Amino acid sequence: MRRLFVAVSLLALAAACRTAPEPAPEPSQPPASEAPATPPQEDPEAFRNQPPKPGEPPELVLPKFEQAKLDNGLTVLVSTRKELPLVFVGVAFASGGSQDPKGKWGLADITYKMLLEGAAGKDSQTLDQAFQDLGVSPSVSVNPDGAFVGVRVLERNADEALALLSDVVRRPNFAQKDFERRKKLQLAELVRAMGSPGFLAQQAYLDAVFGPAHPYGHPVSGLPATVETVTLKDVKGFYQKNVGPRAAALVMTGDVTLEEAVALAKKYFGDWKGSTTPPPLPPEPAALPRQQVVYVPKPGLDQTVVVVGRPGVAVGHPDEYALELATTVFGGFFGSRLNMNLREDKGYSYGAGASTDARLGVGPLTASSAVRKDVTGPALTEFFREMKGIRERPITQKELEAAREGLIRAIPGGFESVEGLGASAAQLFFLRRPMDEFARTVTGLEKATPAEVQRVAEKYLGPDAMQVVLVGDPEVIQQQVGPMELGKLTPREPVAPPKR
Amino acid sequence: MKALITAAVLALGLPAFAQQQEAKPLGPGREALAIPHEKYKLPNGLEVILARDPKLPVVAVNVWYHVGAYNEQPGRTGFAHLFEHMMFQGSKHVPDDVHIAMLEQLGANDLNGTTNFDRTNYFETVPSNHLATALWLESDRMGFLLDALDEKKLRTQQEVVKNERRQGYETRPYGLAQEKLWKALFPAPHPYHGKVIGSMEDLNAATMEDVKAFFRTWYAPSNATLAVVGDFDPKEARALIEKYFSTLPSGPKPEKPQVAPVKISGEKVIRHDEKVGTLPMVVMSWLTPPYLTEGDATADVLANALGTGKSSRLYKRLVQDKELAQSVSAHQQSLGAQSVFTLEAVARPGVTSDALAKELDAVLEEVRREGITQQELNRARTRFETQMLAGLQSVGGFGGKADVLQSYNHYTGDPGFLDEDLERYDAVTPEKVRAFAREYLRPDARVVLHAVPSQNDSAPAAKETH
Repeated sequence: MRRLFVAVSLLALAAACRTAPEPAPEPSQPPASEAPATPPQEDPEAFRNQPPKPGEPPELVLPKFEQAKLDNGLTVLVSTRKELPLVFVGVAFASGGSQDPKGKWGLADITYKMLLEGAAGKDSQTLDQAFQDLGVSPSVSVNPDGAFVGVRVLERNADEALALLSDVVRRPNFAQKDFERRKKLQLAELVRAMGSPGFLAQQAYLDAVFGPAHPYGHPVSGLPATVETVTLKDVKGFYQKNVGPRAAALVMTGDVTLEEAVALAKKYFGDWKGSTTPPPLPPEPAALPRQQVVYVPKPGLDQTVVVVGRPGVAVGHPDEYALELATTVFGGFFGSRLNMNLREDKGYSYGAGASTDARLGVGPLTASSAVRKDVTGPALTEFFREMKGIRERPITQKELEAAREGLIRAIPGGFESVEGLGASAAQLFFLRRPMDEFARTVTGLEKATPAEVQRVAEKYLGPDAMQVVLVGDPEVIQQQVGPMELGKLTPREPVAPPKR
Repeated sequence: MKALITAAVLALGLPAFAQQQEAKPLGPGREALAIPHEKYKLPNGLEVILARDPKLPVVAVNVWYHVGAYNEQPGRTGFAHLFEHMMFQGSKHVPDDVHIAMLEQLGANDLNGTTNFDRTNYFETVPSNHLATALWLESDRMGFLLDALDEKKLRTQQEVVKNERRQGYETRPYGLAQEKLWKALFPAPHPYHGKVIGSMEDLNAATMEDVKAFFRTWYAPSNATLAVVGDFDPKEARALIEKYFSTLPSGPKPEKPQVAPVKISGEKVIRHDEKVGTLPMVVMSWLTPPYLTEGDATADVLANALGTGKSSRLYKRLVQDKELAQSVSAHQQSLGAQSVFTLEAVARPGVTSDALAKELDAVLEEVRREGITQQELNRARTRFETQMLAGLQSVGGFGGKADVLQSYNHYTGDPGFLDEDLERYDAVTPEKVRAFAREYLRPDARVVLHAVPSQNDSAPAAKETH
C-alpha cells in the first residue's frame, strides 16, 4: 500500500506542473523551494530533483472524419492523412456476432469469413493471389456490434484493392465445398482455443455477465455445438438479411480525399442494391447481485485467470466518460490502483487491469489478471479490496486529473497510422456515432466532475454485482476461494469440442 | 560508407559532432521511405540520433542499450530481461514506481521496455511539450539507477517476471515445447541458449550484486543510443539532451563477446508431451545467416512464399487442399549472431504431427528442387516495401521510425541503412532462393519438435480430441 500512495503523491506533483504550463525554466535555476539555502554549484545534479516543467501544450490534434452517402444508402467514411503514400481501404458492416440467431452462435463469424473464400467467380486461391500481388493479405474481424474487412495498400494500389473488395463484399461465391472447409476450420479452431485459459475465461465470463439469452452472452466465434449446426443456407440467409448498402460503410483513410473516395465508391459500389438496415440495439441487461463464483477447472495450471465484471454502459450513455475516468483510476493504467497493488506491491501477477467497453448495447466492465496459482485467494481478496476501496478511499482530485489528462493527451498519438484511423472509422460506424465523436469524447472527459466520477465509480465498481470467473486448478480454487464466501463455487466444464 | 565516415570521426575523440544526413535518394517509388536524420555522440560516448517528423504534436524518445540475453552469464539466464524490469523501479531522483505512471498521466503512448537476444530498449511517445520529462526520466535511470536500488524491488520484480514466464510459457499452449526447441538449436554454453525470459531457477538465483555488476558493465552511456523522433525543435532538443545526458559518467564501450557459429550435424527430434495446447504441433527449425548478412533476405522471401496468405505453398497444401493442418507459418527470425528459419504447423483434430512433418518435407523438397517463381518473389517484395512504409507512420513504438533507425544503427552502425536493406531484397532471385533451401534447409541440419497432447491428459478438451 505504501508504494501506491507514494506513487499517487508524486502524480500530484507532476499534475500541478502540467496545469500551470510555462516555458521550460533555465536549467541553472532550480525552483526556489528546492534548495533554499544551498548555493547552486554545490550539487551540479540538483536540477534533476524536480521533474522538468512542460512546455506550452500543443494544440490537441484530433483525427478528422468526413462522411458522405451514396444514393443507394452506402456510407462513405474518410479520414485524410497525406504524409505517406498509403491508404487503408475497408468495408464495415453494421451487424456482428450479437446478431447470431439462437443456437447458431458463430454464424456471423463464418459468414463474413466466407467472403474471402472466393468471390465474383474467383476461387479462394485466385482471390488471395490477386490481393498478394498488391502486397497484402486481407483479413476479416468480427465483433459483437459489427464486422470489418480491409487492407492497407500503397496509394497506387488503392483502386485495385477496392475493386477486389467490392467483389468480396458484393459477389461472394458461397460455394458448398468452400463452406464445408471453412466450417471444419472453425470447429478445429475452437478445439485449439480450448487450450487457451484466456479463451475459456472469456467464454464463461460472457455467460456469467450477460446470460446465454443475451446477444452479447456468447463468444463471436461460437461454440462447437452451435457452429456444428450452421449450414450454407444459414450463411446465405445471414448475408441476405444483414449485408447491404444501407448497412455498410466504405472506409478510406490516409492519402485520399473525401471527393476521391466518393468517386471510387460510386465506381465500385454505386449500383449496389438492397434495403437492409442496421439491426436494433441489443437490450440492456440487469446487473444482478452475485450468487456464485464460476470456475473452469484446469488441473495443474500454474496460474489462475481471474476475471471480474458486470454490465457497464452503452456508448453515448450520460455516465460514459465519468465511468471511463473511474475505470482508468481503478485499473486502466499501469499506474492504476489495481495494477500497482497486484503487480508492483504484491508481485502476484505480470499485470492486472480494468476496462469499460461501451458498446452499442450495454458493454461489459471488466477487471482481470492472471495470478500465481498459490495466491489465487489472496489476489481475489485484493480485487475486492480495491473495489471497496473506491468507497473508502474516494478518487482523489489528483488521480482524477492524471487520468483525465492522460486519456485526452494520448488521443493524437493513437492515430498515427492509416489502419488505426480505419479501425476508428469502422467503430464510429458500428456504434452509430457522429463524425465529431472524438471532440465529444474530449469534452466529455473534460467536463466530468469529481463528484460525478466518484458517483459512477461507486455505482459501477461496487463489489456486490461483480460476477467472478476463474480458470485454474480446481483444488486450489476450492481451498482458497471457497472460504471467502463470495458465492457458491460453481464448476463449469469447458464445452467439449466435437469428436472428429 | 556513411557509417564508416561517422565512426572514423568519432574514433578521433572529437567533441559532440553532428552532421545533418541528407536522406539518400532512394529508388523510384521509394522516395517516401527516406528518413532524414542526424547522428552525433556526446563526449561520454552516448550516441544520439535525431529525426524530425512534425506530422503530429508528439515526440518519441527511444533508448537502445546494446546488451541482450546474448551477454548473460551462464546460470543467469533471463537476467538481461529481469534487469529491464529494474529500470522502471525508480532511480536517484525519480521515486519508486513513478516512471510509467508519470508518463501515462501526461498522455504517453507506445510506452514500454523490451529485451531480446541482442539488445534492450526503452521507449515512450509523449506529447511534444513533454520531451524534457521523457529525457529526464531516461537519463536518471541511465545515470542513477543504483542509488535507489533495494532488495525488495528486486524480489518483487523476480516474482513479476516469474509470473510473466508462467503466462508466456507454463500456461500458454506449446510454450514449454518451444523452449525445448530453442535449447536444442543453441546448446549451452551458446549465449542464445534458453529463451530471453530465462529459467525459474536462474531467475530465483539473481542477486543484488548481479544487478549492480550488470548495470556497471552494460548500462554505460557508451553502450547506449538515444533516438528522438517527432515534432521537436532541433536546437532545443540538443540542449535538453546535453543537459540531461552529458554529465552522466561513462567508461569504455564494453566488448561484445564473440561466439563461434553453431553447426547442427544430424537431425535432432524432440517429442514433447504437451499439457496445455489441445492439438498436435510440429515445428522444424534451422540455423541460418545472421541479420542483414547474405542469405537473410532470401530467407525472408522464402518464408513469405511458404507461409503468408491463403495461396502460400504451405497453406494451400496443408490447410486448404489436404485439410490436415489448422494453421501453418514460416518465418526467418533474424538475429545478430545466427538466425533461425522455422516452419510450423498445427494439426487438425485426429491428425498426427508425423503426418504434418511429412507434408512439410514434401513442400520443402519441391522448393529445393525448383525454387520459387518470379511472381512469388515479386509479391514478397511488394509486401516488404509496403510494411516498411507502414512502419514509418509511427514515430515510436514497435517498428516505428525510432526503432527502424535504432535497429540499423545497432546492427550496422548506420541508422540510414534502409536503402541498403531494400537493395538486399532487390538482389534476391528465384535461383538464390533455391540455393538457400538446398544449402541451409537440410534435413540433416535441423531440429524437429513434435508437441503432442497426451492421450490420458486430465484436461477434458485434450481428451475429447482423440
